[in-house]
Amino acid sequence: MRKLYIIAVSAIAALATSCSSDFLTVESNSQTFLEDYFTTEPHLQEALVAAYDPLEWFDWTNQYSPVNIMSDIMADQIWVGGSDKTDNAHWHLMMNYEAVPTNTLSSLISDCYSGVKRCNDVMTYITWVPDLPADIAASVEAQARVLRAFYYNILWKFWGNIPYYEVNLTGDLTCPQFTADEVYGKFIADLEGAIALNALPMKREGEETGRVTLAMAYMLYAEAVLYQNDESRFGKALDFLKEIISSGKYALLSDYGEIFKESGEWGSESIFEIDYKTTGGQRYWSWVRGAGGTVLPRLISPHSWSGSDGHDGGWGFAPVRKETFDMFDASDARRAATCWVIDPADSEKYNHRYQDTGIFLEKYAAYKANTDSEGDADLRFNNNLRYYRYAETLLYAAELVVRGAGSGDAADWLNQVHGRSLKGQSVSLSLDNIKEERRLEFVGEGKRYWDLVRWGDAASVLVPDSYGYRTNSWTPSKKYLPFPQSLMDSTEGKTYELKQNNY
Amino acid sequence: MKKIATLILAAGWALTAMAQNVPLKGTVQDSAGEPIIGAFVVQQGTANGSMTDVNGDFSLVTPPGAAIEVSCIGYATQVIINNGEQNLVVVLADDTQMLEETVVIGYGVQKKSVVTASIAKVDADALGVTAPTRVDNALKGLTAGVTVTASSGQPGASSRIRIRGTGSINSSDPIYIVDGMPISGGIDYLNPSDIESIEVLKDAASGAVYGTRAANGVVLVTTKKGSRGKAQIDYNFSYGLSSPWKEREVLNASEYALLINEGLVNSGAAPRYADPYSYGTGTNWQKEVFNYNAPQQTHEVSISGASDAVNYYLSLGYTDQQGIVGGNFGRSFYKRLTLRSNTGFTLWDASSERNFLNKMVLSNQLSYARVSSKGVAENSQWGSPLGSALALSPILGVYATDDQIAEYNTIYAGEKLVTDADGRVFMIPGGNFNEMVNPIASLSLPANDNWSHKIVGAFSGELQVWDNIKLHSTFSLDMSFWGNSGYTPLFYLSSNNRAGTTNVNAQYEKGLVWQVENYLTWNKDFGKHSVSLLLGQSALENSSDGLYGMRRDLAEEWYEKPYIGNAPNNTDDPDKQGANGWKNAPYRLASYFARADWNYDERYMAQVTFRRDGSSRFGANKKWGNFPSFSLGWNLHKEPYLTVPAWLSNAKVRFSWGVNGSDAFEAFRYTTLTAKDNNYILGTGENIAQGVKSSGLANPDLHWERSIQTNLGVDLGFWHNALTLGIDLYNKTTDGMLLQMPTPSYVGESSPWGNGGKMVNRGVELEASYKWGQGDWNFRLGGNATYLYNRLISMGNESGFNNYDSFQGAGTMTRGENGYPFPFFYGYKTDGVFQNQNEIDAYVNKDGEKIMPDAVPGDVRFVDVNGDGVFNDDDRTYIGNGMPDWTFGLNFSAGWKGFDFYMLWQSTVGNDILDVTRRTDISESNMPSYMLGRWTGEGTSNKYPRLVRGDNVNWQMSDLYVQDGSYLRLKNIQLGYTLPARLTQTVLVKSLRVYVAAENLLTLTGYRGYDPEISSGGTSLGVDYGVYPLPRTLLCGLNLKF
Repeated sequence: MRKLYIIAVSAIAALATSCSSDFLTVESNSQTFLEDYFTTEPHLQEALVAAYDPLEWFDWTNQYSPVNIMSDIMADQIWVGGSDKTDNAHWHLMMNYEAVPTNTLSSLISDCYSGVKRCNDVMTYITWVPDLPADIAASVEAQARVLRAFYYNILWKFWGNIPYYEVNLTGDLTCPQFTADEVYGKFIADLEGAIALNALPMKREGEETGRVTLAMAYMLYAEAVLYQNDESRFGKALDFLKEIISSGKYALLSDYGEIFKESGEWGSESIFEIDYKTTGGQRYWSWVRGAGGTVLPRLISPHSWSGSDGHDGGWGFAPVRKETFDMFDASDARRAATCWVIDPADSEKYNHRYQDTGIFLEKYAAYKANTDSEGDADLRFNNNLRYYRYAETLLYAAELVVRGAGSGDAADWLNQVHGRSLKGQSVSLSLDNIKEERRLEFVGEGKRYWDLVRWGDAASVLVPDSYGYRTNSWTPSKKYLPFPQSLMDSTEGKTYELKQNNY
Repeated sequence: MKKIATLILAAGWALTAMAQNVPLKGTVQDSAGEPIIGAFVVQQGTANGSMTDVNGDFSLVTPPGAAIEVSCIGYATQVIINNGEQNLVVVLADDTQMLEETVVIGYGVQKKSVVTASIAKVDADALGVTAPTRVDNALKGLTAGVTVTASSGQPGASSRIRIRGTGSINSSDPIYIVDGMPISGGIDYLNPSDIESIEVLKDAASGAVYGTRAANGVVLVTTKKGSRGKAQIDYNFSYGLSSPWKEREVLNASEYALLINEGLVNSGAAPRYADPYSYGTGTNWQKEVFNYNAPQQTHEVSISGASDAVNYYLSLGYTDQQGIVGGNFGRSFYKRLTLRSNTGFTLWDASSERNFLNKMVLSNQLSYARVSSKGVAENSQWGSPLGSALALSPILGVYATDDQIAEYNTIYAGEKLVTDADGRVFMIPGGNFNEMVNPIASLSLPANDNWSHKIVGAFSGELQVWDNIKLHSTFSLDMSFWGNSGYTPLFYLSSNNRAGTTNVNAQYEKGLVWQVENYLTWNKDFGKHSVSLLLGQSALENSSDGLYGMRRDLAEEWYEKPYIGNAPNNTDDPDKQGANGWKNAPYRLASYFARADWNYDERYMAQVTFRRDGSSRFGANKKWGNFPSFSLGWNLHKEPYLTVPAWLSNAKVRFSWGVNGSDAFEAFRYTTLTAKDNNYILGTGENIAQGVKSSGLANPDLHWERSIQTNLGVDLGFWHNALTLGIDLYNKTTDGMLLQMPTPSYVGESSPWGNGGKMVNRGVELEASYKWGQGDWNFRLGGNATYLYNRLISMGNESGFNNYDSFQGAGTMTRGENGYPFPFFYGYKTDGVFQNQNEIDAYVNKDGEKIMPDAVPGDVRFVDVNGDGVFNDDDRTYIGNGMPDWTFGLNFSAGWKGFDFYMLWQSTVGNDILDVTRRTDISESNMPSYMLGRWTGEGTSNKYPRLVRGDNVNWQMSDLYVQDGSYLRLKNIQLGYTLPARLTQTVLVKSLRVYVAAENLLTLTGYRGYDPEISSGGTSLGVDYGVYPLPRTLLCGLNLKF
């Protein structure tokens, strides 16, 4: 009996003292080491999906910064709104060209660089997959590189002189900063390289819808080249656009109003959209990076709207300027599709917030049908963000022709767009008419501000208004936003210190 | 019947005996011949007695031959017989047993007289008095250096315990060790009356034996064992009623209408309410929300006893408590059932026969606890029941009027409006109040059922190996099962708080912790040298997993039986049902530890401890950490070379130094792994495509947080320890605090974790107690005081600060910054209100420029703190912090014959409260009554600014939100009466005590909120978003012993 206990006790003691480092090495039950995981094609494809993921964050990560609205508040067609000037204060400051490092756009920077980092990772993982078929490798690489250029394009337009890297950072995790021209040179070359891989289809169908296409890469190219006014590449840009037009894969929708309806998503006019969905969405305030809905319609709809026309309420941001409504001809189909004018009789059905005009942006207005009440309802709107439309392809191409990039049926391209909304009407081909067409066509789509800057019209157009909302004029130094102070602080004393933009 | 007759006869005999009394006179002395003052001289079994005077003299008249008991604290009681002597000298021997009081120190016990570390002990007597629901609450006010803050008045809410301050920017929770087993998830599974003692290891030297996890202090809980004798049965019962004791002062309906009008007019709009006074007082939302006289009850039964071979303690406890917010809706309650069996078996004892393998003792502690609870949202700025009660317009009613119902039928067509049991429709406040919904409607909806089962078992053996060497082996298990289930019916509270489909869900989780410990102890005396050694090993694993399931479209007829199986099985529609499951990576810890104690004649003491821990939370580079400590002590009063006056019965000086660690953070932060769910929507069907990325950036050198602490202590006892004093001074530095390293946001990945921050805590702890008596009276007065100094030395990042919480409409409000207490309230300083334009014009910088050019009369004058001549964001500064400078506890007990009285006072001084219960961004929100004192014209107010709708200039985060949170509270007061034994024994009851008590009877504070005890910890320490206040509870109960 006693022996038994002695044996038992000694056994326990022996067992327990045999603790080795094996005991302290535990494995995750839900995660794998990267080197073990990204070694098959399906896993590589998952890494690629993750590189698309940040596209959906722009409307909200740590800040509300829907990229279209962030552009348009700096232009002349919408106000900022909200409860007052401190509600999303950085928007109000940007609108009046007085952004400060302690209160400026910041989450857009980390969103875009998250995309860059993930694209770079995809480029690494391609080399980890043994026996990866060449066509798949090229397709994955082309998507990753076009996406990377897409993210850099946004950073470059908003901040200009940014850190640029194509291999992820190590060491003290800082990166050299380049001038805006250098950044342009780098990412446009990368984009050209991606296009040259010849691995992208002009248009995608079915399950592939939503991925990068050749048309999307071309549009990105044209946008960057035109914003840089890089005449050396105008010809190439025009060729690309003409390739889209001649492919016959894209066409204008006959009804402008259809573009922004649920039924218009990925319609024949859509070259690139950022996807959002309601049912089965995984996006919550606690997991904003989940794939799901968008908050944009909530942001820009009238506060506490209680009308029964199918619209849903919101927070009263981005009211459309009265002048924007007035610029449309009454017969222009774009007027009603752009401006949701609240009937004066319904004026009491919502809270009039700051800079209220009684007009809201119909293109992305909240509709009860576009969301449901599950989860975090505000973050569940299914409205895709229309990023590149075929209408812009036509107008870019027409502009390039007018600006001497080459030949093409520019008058027809312009009038396809013009005549779609103003039935039976046409205009003559001129740069001014193209500018006017873009002004009418893209309200609320984040184009106008960049157009004014690249045309050299910003300083004359973006001036104080008669309402006293914008008191400062745009100057060339306002082209690049200040970097957030926290970003400045985080590179202090490190290998590459970031230099603040002269805003 | 016969017994009662005997009683009457006995009483009669006592009366007649009085007639023949004789006096007895004498002196009481100690062994040194010094007179003992205040010794009791009492005729045994009676109330007849007296006390010795300053010369130690007494006189007492008793029947001749009566037995007289002479007693005094610190001495052995003596019984003498009254033989009529007039110069009797009674010499009382020192009570050695008292000095032998022991303290649990982790892997052993130590005589209190030779303890060199800083350890606070709370024994069963102190714990038993207050009959708390939860053990952690019981520690409140009892010891210095241990700050216990009730986290909430919600039944069953845990308390926040801080030992020697906020030790880290990360977890500052102490580790709880119950009967040797570290317990995760709190100790609310313990039945408080099962506890024999709680020791709090405060300094690094005492905690070092638990090295890795001791950086924030160690709470050692020891449960009861049976003591020798026949079975003892105890039954305790209490019943109480809880009510809120304070309402916040807010505007009534007329005042609300007036002020809303004023705000509109000041904002250039037309007033809304034509006749504000027509609304009367309106709805008192707080009264509607509060639940008055919420019942609670507790039953505890225990049976214990011991023989030579076996000792046992069995108990059963049940407690049931209803909350004062939502309790009447079944939304806030806590029920706990506990079972415990502690047994010990002496397998053999041959210690009289041989000196090897001569004794083997096996013991086990087995406990089970089941908790079921429901809770309401608390302390949230986003619409908790109390938050809504403060924000809703008093003009609105709880129920919708007929007009409103007609309106709802169009606005909310198709929505399921919430009704009460009688079908009355609740009012819907609409979008004007943002997240604030009708709290009564919200409380009427079902809440999640939370449940848990916990089984903790420890099986241990103690084998005497040879001489005084003992081998202890323990295997412990902590199995817990917890989860919740709930359902969402169709409902509409607001556009953001509604359900268009029903949902029924359940989540089950389970956890298992096992621990194996083996250690050898050896005690030996060599002459006056006494040595004890400890050498041991410990290994632990903690693993857990869970499962979640959900189905939609539960039909209304199943609302009473809301289980997943009763909802339709839509296997082909992934949106109609869902499941999730997870298995967490195990946490493992391997440890070796050693301790050596030495003392010479109990005069000089020294202790050295060393622990080496390996944790699975670190990479190969830094798996192991070493945690050394030592402590020294000197009992001056035992020093023969010093002439210590007789009244100084104890004088000890202690010093200790040690290193503790913390690895309380997530696994795998040292490496990068795959991260799922970085998905994107692709395809015409808008399918979610699985995206996988790397989890972050690795830091293979991640290592322990480390705290180094020195402690200097003095213990003094006077007059045979009738008066005791204890003083401890400490300095604790935590460095290598884990934080996300500062990396540029352009890295494209969340920052890696690293060891960067540094924090210091210094403090003074004072404890004193005094016991005395007079006649039948006895008293005890105990007090403690804690002073705490906390500073964040380094945030570990470039900027030297981090902003934490923010308040809607007011911006950042808490922050951690180098050189400041952690965390602190951050905002502007104000300097009154501009009374007129001249004052605005006169508020200029040195260049004569106006500092606040946009201000208008009635606006707050903000201070240009940095003196740069402009008022902007950079002028925000320290405006207070939530940690008290001083914490006090005072307890007083008194006894007279069968009566006992107890009270416990508790106090904090120097803590601030950030009162953010008013959402200034909600224009329609009701306002606190102090807004009646707002500025309305020159000279009206120099504190509260003019009223403007959505005012986010005057109500930016500033010291206007900060209030002094100091308070003095009568935490517990109790009056008990123990029935005379001769009465109760006739019905086989050993003793019966009945009592009445009150908790939180009286609170003196200048704070305007519900409760100066603010639950929020972490980075929102001291922030009041609308706490669930502690109730005032009136209790009665009984303690029965058989």
